[in-house]
Amino acid sequence: MHELSLVQGIVDSVQETAREKRGRVTSFKIEVGELSQFDIRLIRKLLADITTGTQLEGAKVLVEREKCRVRCLGCGSQWDFRQLAGALSNEEKEMVHFLPELISSCSKCPSCSKSYFEIEAGRSVRVAEVTLDV
Amino acid sequence: MSESDSVPDFRQGMIKRRLSDVRHVLLVLSGKGGVGKSVVSATLAAQLAASGFKVGLLDADIYGPSSALLFGTGTLPEEGKGGLTPPVSRGVKIMSVDLFASGRPLPLTGYGARQVLVELLALTHWGELDCLVADMPPATGDIMQVLTSLGGAQPSGLVVSMPDRLSTAVAHRVLELLRSEKVPTIGVLENMHRPGPGQVRGIRGPARLAREFGVPFLGALPFDSGVTNAVEQADVGALLKTEFAEKLRRATLPYMKTLRTD
Repeated sequence: MHELSLVQGIVDSVQETAREKRGRVTSFKIEVGELSQFDIRLIRKLLADITTGTQLEGAKVLVEREKCRVRCLGCGSQWDFRQLAGALSNEEKEMVHFLPELISSCSKCPSCSKSYFEIEAGRSVRVAEVTLDV
Repeated sequence: MSESDSVPDFRQGMIKRRLSDVRHVLLVLSGKGGVGKSVVSATLAAQLAASGFKVGLLDADIYGPSSALLFGTGTLPEEGKGGLTPPVSRGVKIMSVDLFASGRPLPLTGYGARQVLVELLALTHWGELDCLVADMPPATGDIMQVLTSLGGAQPSGLVVSMPDRLSTAVAHRVLELLRSEKVPTIGVLENMHRPGPGQVRGIRGPARLAREFGVPFLGALPFDSGVTNAVEQADVGALLKTEFAEKLRRATLPYMKTLRTD
């Protein structure tokens, strides 16, 4: 349930952006990285609950899943989380849920079996865009 | 007028808010590995907790974490609405990547290690702390950059060096960087001191280093086989009874005094 603190952090950050730019948030977009395995419905619900009664109430909120793309630093091949997820134990999935970079602690490149990866997209939850009326 | 923009990493705000309840952050640093930073960090954290302070120990050595091993804890942090609550051992709240990785390899790039640290800082619910001790990785890379520019807390540095020329020379870089990053240094600590020829004449390297930078030389901690035994047993109680620990306690008394008065 640490999703709640992350979503609270997102809402605080969006409000801070609005304050800094002296604007009103009309919409914002959240991308939920596949690697974190967050339940996107839960993120939507938490966002709705937390923004109720705030300046963000009424703003259009878009929450989208961002596909995970990992690149091997050894051979350069790319793959996605679904290619790896099946081989992970529940303990490993939980580890990656909290700290997405630890995917390299429990997976190997499907092409060359090396361990150093770069997460190019879809690591965790992030604010992709905020639109303000200024 | 409508303006569309991406926003800064929201975790920075989370870190700032979390650290606003932390009175002091102490970075335990060195120029090279193997000088005893982790043992100094763990011992100091346990001593502060035993003296009644609220203490956290952040294992910032993301590539080679050992704080959880030193305390003999492998408990996963508790997940709750406020984030991740660290396990507590001997009164010290401990957060380490190894509580998640459980001894697995950590093949991380500099960017990856930085992401892990930022995530840990953003998620960890320390609560109110008098002091957060950060066991730093050796040298002056990404992790040092993150922890010397924390929003919400002004860190201080404690530089650990062995008496030899190599250790002292690389610790010089750390002190230079602390100075340029405007991070106050509480002092230089010599570790694994063994009296012998070559060390009895003149002023030793770490003391000279402290003098060069105008920071306190906190003293010399002995090479102590009791430390090795305590670490082997993951027995922090035994560690606290060593001559090493007693000398560390005396060396850091001025810092402890600062914690009481600030």
